[in-house]
Amino acid sequence: MKKIIVGLSGGVDSAVAAFLLKDAGYHVEAIFMKNWNEDDDCPAEEDYKDALMVAETIGIPLHSVNFSKEYWDKVFKTFLDEYKIGRTPNPDILCNKEIKFKAFLDYCLDLGADQIATGHYAKIAQSSHGFELHKGDDGNKDQSYFLYTLNQNALSKSIFPLASLEKSEIRAIAKEQKLPVYNKKDSTGICFIGERDFKTFLKTYLPANPGSIVKPDGTIIGKHDGLMYYTLGQRQGLGIGGGYGDLDEPWYVSDKAMGRNELIAVQGNNHPDLYHSSLTASHIHWISGNPPENETAIGAKIRYRSSDAKCVLEHVSKTEVKVTFNQPQFAIAPGQSVVFYDGTLCLGGGIIDTRSHD
Amino acid sequence: MNCYFDHSATTPVDAAVIEWINQSQPTVYGNPSSSHAIGRKGKHILETARFQLAGSLGCSTKEIIFTGSGTEANNLVLNHVISQEKKHIITSSIEHPAILKTLTHLKPFGITCTVIPVNKYGSVNPLDIEKAIQPNTSLISIMTANNEIGTVQPIEAISSIAKNNQILFHSDGVQALGKIPIQALVTHCDLMSFSSHKFYGPKGVGFLVKKEPVKLNPFIVGGGQESNLRGGTENIIGIGAMALAAEKAIHSFDKTFNLLKDLELLCIRGLRKIIPDVVIHGNMDAHIPGLISFAIPNIDNQKLLTQLDQANIYASSGSACHSGISTPSDVLIALGIDESTNLSTIRISFGKDNTFDQVHYFLDTLKTILQI
Repeated sequence: MKKIIVGLSGGVDSAVAAFLLKDAGYHVEAIFMKNWNEDDDCPAEEDYKDALMVAETIGIPLHSVNFSKEYWDKVFKTFLDEYKIGRTPNPDILCNKEIKFKAFLDYCLDLGADQIATGHYAKIAQSSHGFELHKGDDGNKDQSYFLYTLNQNALSKSIFPLASLEKSEIRAIAKEQKLPVYNKKDSTGICFIGERDFKTFLKTYLPANPGSIVKPDGTIIGKHDGLMYYTLGQRQGLGIGGGYGDLDEPWYVSDKAMGRNELIAVQGNNHPDLYHSSLTASHIHWISGNPPENETAIGAKIRYRSSDAKCVLEHVSKTEVKVTFNQPQFAIAPGQSVVFYDGTLCLGGGIIDTRSHD
Repeated sequence: MNCYFDHSATTPVDAAVIEWINQSQPTVYGNPSSSHAIGRKGKHILETARFQLAGSLGCSTKEIIFTGSGTEANNLVLNHVISQEKKHIITSSIEHPAILKTLTHLKPFGITCTVIPVNKYGSVNPLDIEKAIQPNTSLISIMTANNEIGTVQPIEAISSIAKNNQILFHSDGVQALGKIPIQALVTHCDLMSFSSHKFYGPKGVGFLVKKEPVKLNPFIVGGGQESNLRGGTENIIGIGAMALAAEKAIHSFDKTFNLLKDLELLCIRGLRKIIPDVVIHGNMDAHIPGLISFAIPNIDNQKLLTQLDQANIYASSGSACHSGISTPSDVLIALGIDESTNLSTIRISFGKDNTFDQVHYFLDTLKTILQI
């Protein structure tokens, strides 16, 4: 019988994933992964307790593993480095790449697993070209965006049991099976920050360097607490408010001038400075191992939950691309990932470096 | 094959004790403080247990104070010092958190302490204790045997130092009962803590031996139970079961000791054969039987424990947080063990129901896991 090890987080998704596999007759074991060293605000102990309750309810063994060191070295350090230079990284993508589908996968294989499973909303399919990653059927929950770094080996060794389910169905199954986390709140935000205030968290690792908020023409209109705290396109928390300028409209972050330590803001979400029609990205990874043949009819997401925007690809080098959109895109943020799709098929992606108006 | 090798964490309840619990539970429900027949029955069980324990340990019934755990017994002793004029306590660097964390917690109440280091085998040097005595030292608290590495401390020598300096001597004896001749130990200590679930009794109950004429202040105050030393309606069934378990453990000491020693020797011989560079921690000359703390160089203990778990072998690392994650053991740090060896260390602790076959199975499984 195939042996599958499930990453059990203490949340409802992985709990149902584990149940479905067990129900399908696989030999299932579970591992609770700890990626962050304990401090008072870390809910790891609570989550472990929930994972244990789930594992015992389903009737599968639960093991623990500590990847705090790997996470720190391979994910968190990069996360800080990116913030330091004013970019907006996505640690969950890096975590999938370096931890869940590398360190964790290897660990499970060592423990005798044939495959691993997680509670991701995405689909793995096999075609004549190899393994494919597709969007999950629940369009609202699809997590393929976070998984574009997976390679053929990782896909061949992974199962996403929630691929064709809707979130509401997941909760219904959990309730029906009396899994004690059936109504547990979905986790939000970055896993290691949890419910904590993002600014306070970041301040403990990076020095804050306050400066001015300026209009594109250089007029000072306010103060910022440190450029790292702001994301391009951000509206809330600028402390400027509507009505300051000529129009009675809110202000948006359009750019960061790192050298001058200035945050550049513009008024109104239609302001042209907030829109760019092209970007360059590096660290390009193609899931099939090769770039797509058709480079003109693909869609791209520039952030999780953004809709697929029609674009044209141009290869700058083996790991760099230029992406030109049919329509200018709002708030393209360096550090975030651009992920390419052909319909439901996730082709791959890379990390955004620059954006431009042409 | 199922191999429970984690008896230093807790033991299964003895079959005879389970039988006694099942028999008594339906009928013994009276509050020992009630004077009617039902209450008297409860009181009878309580005092019989005290009598039984005193007899097994060689002390008087007045000297047995029932508590909710070994940890509580330790807290009762340490908290007492708050009310004393002399507020200095001497302890060792490898005590259980029930001592070391409690002492940290008591700092704001004026308690100061000197933490005596141990050598690389985990032994306390009594001379270090003597040197640490201050004019305001009121208590020396040194565990009888360490839970992670099994080292037994020179209790008699420490006891005479305490006596000569008229300082109270407490020993956390949680790991000792049933594994070390206990009556001799009890004669050396003024105060000694024990926990039922370490000697095949149920969880949630323990006791403190408080030798006459030592006086203590209560830690949990309430309805005057336990000679005003521990408020709260007594866990009658737990206490009765604990007394029976203690009696059985002390009574069958020789038999258990020999079995545990034999299992230990077989296991150590096997380990040395499979892993020539295995590191065995603790003081083999003064050691509780059946506990082996060992490191396999370059092996991640968390992973090894998982692999053993998969093979139904239940061992532990010295120290785990509440998420089941191995963390570097403070005890091994105190011994001067480097971090890599620390995180390669696992502990197996045998019990009276373990067999030679189980040890062979463990060694074979280990070979398979390590691909030797």
